Amino acid sequence: MTCVEFERFLPEIIEQENLTDKQAHLKECSSCSTLVSDLRVISHEARLLQESDEPNPRVWNRIEIALRQEGLIRDAHTESTRQLESPSRWRLAWLVPAMAALLLSIGFLKHQRDSNTAQSPSVQPNEPATVAAVSDDSPRFKDEELLQEVSLRSPAMRNSYGTDLENVNAYIRDAETAARSNPNDEAAQRYVINAYEQKAMLYEMALDRPLQ
Amino acid sequence: MTDARKRQSEKLSEADAIERAKQGDAEAFQILYELHRRRVYSLCLRMTSNTAAAEDLTQEAFLQLFRKIGTFRGESAFSTWLHRMAVNVVLMQLRKKNLPVVPLDETAEFEDDVPKKELGGPDTRLTGSIDRLELQRSIDSLPPGYRTIFVLHDVEGYEHNEIAELVGCSVGNSKSQLHKARLKLRELLKTSRAEKAI
Repeated sequence: MTCVEFERFLPEIIEQENLTDKQAHLKECSSCSTLVSDLRVISHEARLLQESDEPNPRVWNRIEIALRQEGLIRDAHTESTRQLESPSRWRLAWLVPAMAALLLSIGFLKHQRDSNTAQSPSVQPNEPATVAAVSDDSPRFKDEELLQEVSLRSPAMRNSYGTDLENVNAYIRDAETAARSNPNDEAAQRYVINAYEQKAMLYEMALDRPLQ
Repeated sequence: MTDARKRQSEKLSEADAIERAKQGDAEAFQILYELHRRRVYSLCLRMTSNTAAAEDLTQEAFLQLFRKIGTFRGESAFSTWLHRMAVNVVLMQLRKKNLPVVPLDETAEFEDDVPKKELGGPDTRLTGSIDRLELQRSIDSLPPGYRTIFVLHDVEGYEHNEIAELVGCSVGNSKSQLHKARLKLRELLKTSRAEKAI
């Protein structure tokens, strides 16, 4: 069998492992053997992309808003559940605007600090004490508090929010690392702000959900 | 009972969530979204190569699903139903934008785009596994017609007869375009590696 004849059967050969009558050509032709091997690798690796990307939390936010507007989420249910809300929901209600403001401030201050560092590396800007205080322990503590609140109100969603928080925290870390290593890169600075915005949105979604 | 087991038992099954979503239960909608969001979004992103468009299409696919969830009777798997709906939403969008959805015939204009194999000549191998980002970028660089068939078959796992039905082409055409898409991808990956090596 020649390479030209072999190539006519290539699509079938990629799909099926054993086509004995074509194996002989593969054994003696390194070019066709390499081609088959590469195409199989591409096909195999492609399957790993099936669930590779995570949508931004705002997608669910928009879906939920649309569902409410269209009345697909029952108002009666919402009303009845509102009456059942636990006092702890109100106790933590302040977290939504506070955390959103806090996270956005951190993102903004980091953005400004990195910009300043880029413009004048010798200058050490005075960092507000609040940023230093909240950038390490406080958000982690707030995350735990949020997850406890979610478990109280909707245990089934705790794992999901835990994963989302891990993802968004990883995004923040990556964005900050990128911004630190490329202080002049405006896109990297925007990623930092965007990462904090996503976290603020996650908090908003978690605490704004109706109760069962 | 261990914590893990307790959490597992607390979690709604997909079947329960579907039934509760039919009653308008907000949490059930969110659980269904959480279960399938990555696959639907990844599909939209691979097919459009555009984050904003992928977000819009993911939203549209889930909204269509939730609007029709009352008609779901469980004859097919819920995931199959949802993914089919997502594919249709994306294909409709591509058609609206006049991007080629139906692969062109074997003799058509993309023919020039397909790398010609130098038969019998030396060939370099794509050694080892392919980097995920590298593969994503190469898929993004495929012409839309090729990309659709490749994503549906090799990423999403649809059979050629299903693809033919979805995009409106013959089974033979689907097979032929898939093969060309893989050859083109191989070429793109090799070019990308060669550029990195410089």
